[in-house]
Amino acid sequence: MLLVVYPLRSLRKGLCRRETIWQYYISILNWWSVSHSQITRLYSRFTSLDKGENGTLSREDFQRIPELAINPLGDRIINAFFPEGEDQVNFRGFMRTLAHFRPIEDNEKSKDQNGPEPLNSRSNKLHFAFRLYDLDKDDKISRDELLQVLRMMVGVNISDEQLGSIADRTIQEADQDGDSAISFAEFVKVLEKVDVEQKMSIRFLH
Amino acid sequence: MGAAALRALPWALLLLGPLLPRQGLQANPMVTSEPSPGQPAPLPAGEIGGFPPAPPAAPEVIHPLKEQPANGSGEGHHKPRKAFPVLGIDYTHVRIPFEISLWILLACLMKLGFHVIPSVSSIVPESCLLIVVGLLVGGLIKGVGEKPPILKSDIFFLFLLPPIILDAGYFLPLRQFTENLGTILIFAVVGTLWNAFFLGGLMYAVCQLGGPGLNHIGLLANLLFGSIISAVDPVAVLAVFEEIHINELLHILVFGESLLNDAVTVVLYHLFEEFANFEQVTILDIILGFLSFFVVSLGGVLVGVIYGVIAAFTSRFTSHIRVIEPLFVFLYSYMAYLSAELFHLSGIMALIASGVVMRPYVEANISHKSHTTIKYFLKMWSSVSETLIFIFLGVSTVAGHHYWNWTFVISTLLFCLIARVLGVLVLTWFINKFRIVKLTPKDQFIIAYGGLRGAIAFSLGYLLDYKHFGMRDMFLTAIITVIFFTVFVQGMTIRPLVDLLAVKKKQETKRSINEEIHTQFLDHLLTGIEDICGHYGHHHWKDKLNRFNKKYVKKCLIAGERSKEPQLIAFYHKMEMKQAIELVESGGIGKIPSAVSTVSIQNINPKSLPVERILPALSKDKEEEIRKILRNNLQKTRQRLRSYNRHTLVADPYEEAWNQMLLRRQKARQLEQKMNNYLTVPAHRLDSPTMSRARIGSDPLAYEPKADSENLPIITIDPASPQSPESVDLMNEEPKGCSGLPPSPEEDEEGLVMRVKEPSSPGTDDVFTPGTGDSPSNQRMLRCLSDPGPRPEPEEGEPFIPKGQ
Repeated sequence: MLLVVYPLRSLRKGLCRRETIWQYYISILNWWSVSHSQITRLYSRFTSLDKGENGTLSREDFQRIPELAINPLGDRIINAFFPEGEDQVNFRGFMRTLAHFRPIEDNEKSKDQNGPEPLNSRSNKLHFAFRLYDLDKDDKISRDELLQVLRMMVGVNISDEQLGSIADRTIQEADQDGDSAISFAEFVKVLEKVDVEQKMSIRFLH
Repeated sequence: MGAAALRALPWALLLLGPLLPRQGLQANPMVTSEPSPGQPAPLPAGEIGGFPPAPPAAPEVIHPLKEQPANGSGEGHHKPRKAFPVLGIDYTHVRIPFEISLWILLACLMKLGFHVIPSVSSIVPESCLLIVVGLLVGGLIKGVGEKPPILKSDIFFLFLLPPIILDAGYFLPLRQFTENLGTILIFAVVGTLWNAFFLGGLMYAVCQLGGPGLNHIGLLANLLFGSIISAVDPVAVLAVFEEIHINELLHILVFGESLLNDAVTVVLYHLFEEFANFEQVTILDIILGFLSFFVVSLGGVLVGVIYGVIAAFTSRFTSHIRVIEPLFVFLYSYMAYLSAELFHLSGIMALIASGVVMRPYVEANISHKSHTTIKYFLKMWSSVSETLIFIFLGVSTVAGHHYWNWTFVISTLLFCLIARVLGVLVLTWFINKFRIVKLTPKDQFIIAYGGLRGAIAFSLGYLLDYKHFGMRDMFLTAIITVIFFTVFVQGMTIRPLVDLLAVKKKQETKRSINEEIHTQFLDHLLTGIEDICGHYGHHHWKDKLNRFNKKYVKKCLIAGERSKEPQLIAFYHKMEMKQAIELVESGGIGKIPSAVSTVSIQNINPKSLPVERILPALSKDKEEEIRKILRNNLQKTRQRLRSYNRHTLVADPYEEAWNQMLLRRQKARQLEQKMNNYLTVPAHRLDSPTMSRARIGSDPLAYEPKADSENLPIITIDPASPQSPESVDLMNEEPKGCSGLPPSPEEDEEGLVMRVKEPSSPGTDDVFTPGTGDSPSNQRMLRCLSDPGPRPEPEEGEPFIPKGQ
């Protein structure tokens, strides 16, 4: 047990006062219910990113990752880690966001619906993606938000009208209630043929 | 129709009967009835497929002018004078092409026939029916007294197999293939190895126990036999799986396995064939064999990639000779196959690799017509090849020498099935540890059941030579039995089983733009998450490959502007093009779905302000006059014969116009700004003949004048023919120093185009719609297009109310 708990001691800084390390560890395991090695691996990644060594990550720490800088969605992904209004994320928050990308286990599918839905369910995965589109958090992807995302993905060579027509076409295909925006339900419906469980899962987090 | 063809065939044969040789006539050096063991007949001068020996004697009898070589020497000057033959028959002259064509025709007629009788084809897969037809034809030929042709390995490997593989490789669904590549490779390599050794070993045991008839068959011979029969056959898999419309995952798993196991089969085959000649097999030989597997497979892929890159590079320069573009694709792929076969590398993998590599670049470079041509030629050839293969399998069954040994054959069959099932089960258990989406038992059953054997096994067996493998006939019999069993029994029952087990079927719908955008979005998201985790996974490498591709490769291999086109835009263009073509084909100006009209023409946001329309003022009878002249001109241009040039493709006005439309959006704003200087029609007036005809025809108020005296444009309507005397110049009533527009003679092919003062060179982005988005002229055009027909004229100057969405 000591071997288990030792590396997590420095996490104490990120804990709320009443919690013990043990509870912290268990809560992470509950989200994950996977091996201890995965947690330690991610923890070592967390610490390697944490240059300030204060047990939390700031936005600059994320931006130091070179591949994220060239990723069109880099900023939005980084923002997704930070809860509302905060500038620091601790290990629990880090893991919480990553928990969305755990592959769905078969035995979980038959779990009863009484408990809270696990973070890596299909619906929650899609919700995570939806939140990345929907910056103003009005539960709709408006034309402008879609245009922004398209512009980021496509680059600078394409004219505004062309992007505009693509955006219009996209909204038109998906929109069923006629409000010229894509709501979460419509988003889910459009992606029903895409294998989201496989696409939004990272294998090593198995 | 199939029945008719069947009835016709014996008549055809009977007609040729008198021309066919009787026994004892002088041998034609060109003919061999069965290939000498181990020696492929020379092609194409040699006999094709072991056709019945040609009639050398008959034409010599009939052709009086031909000298008889046997007795020509002394008789030359004593030959009696014969009458000049008005009608003669010379069969040898056309024999080979004639017979080939006859066989291909038979194959096609059979295919036709099956679809005329739908009830049979829904139960029995086509491959079974074709084998039965082959059996019948073979029996018929034998009954007539001739020797039916056997499917020779050379013909099979060099001519019949490549089209099928190229078709499969060129249209391989790359996304699913790469996502499941690990699984496919494990099934292909480990599965085939397991099958070969398991089967070979067990058959050796059976042979040892099988009594005097089988005792002499050594271990190596059995292993060779095992390696021949263990490979899942892509032709058979394609033939059966295409009809059952199974979901894409299973399809790509079984099909990918059948393609990639070719390398294993080639290596094992050559290995055991060589080893059968050795007295002793050392460790070194085994290591070399192991090494050769990598050489064969990776070498094959390398050859394919090289040819693919060369083909992509060539296609970059074909913009002026569009007619031969498809030929480049076919030739380079075929050369890749032949080059790989030259070095005993895996030809199939070379073919697949070249198709996969060249496709994205070639498709960006070639015209739409060439793309269609490639698609249809590949489908046509592969279809005909497949039919021929199955028919020949049937015929060869009748024709070949068989040696039936109950023990051997039955045990082969049994062990094949057992080996397959065991292999799939064990491998799936192993693979499922690494897969995110696991393979369910249902999937495993279909994978095991779909392991069909086919003509490749037969041809490989046929290639064995008698000297080293005396039991070749027995092998062939066993192979044919297994093939028949898998194709007939498994092929026929797989469809009801799929329905019974409620296996997921293929989803027929096309990919929507939403899916494309969101999938790319998710790709970026997952790449970012992987980078945060520090995990170099699937997405990371895919992203790196895409970046490399965009930065370096696309610039080299794609011509012109399109090298910078992002994937999303390319997809969008393709989608729009498809819709436009469908739209035009359905003949419906009035049938435009609102999606197309909203987006394809331009951005419509009905709430924003209308932009000024600049149109000439015309009175009603002038309009009528214009319309009459236009009608006559348009008709004339259609009937005018262009000078015939075989090498130029007449540009499709719809495609050209649509391309122009799509490409012309950017300069709208610029041209509008220049409008005042040039006093010309704003560039958004340039549009396709379709649209202009639509506008003229359906909406009489298309030229609703706008009271703006400064910007009166000039419309010069220039019908395509520069020689036509009736080009019309419409000058507006109050020219204010406007200069006329010179009709530009180059753009011949456009039916009706209105020119701007600044004619744009083809290929630059000219304008179709204004950038600011909502000129009522465009709205009007939109309304014209959605207008079902001419309507009674409302009052002048009043804009139409846009129709509801």
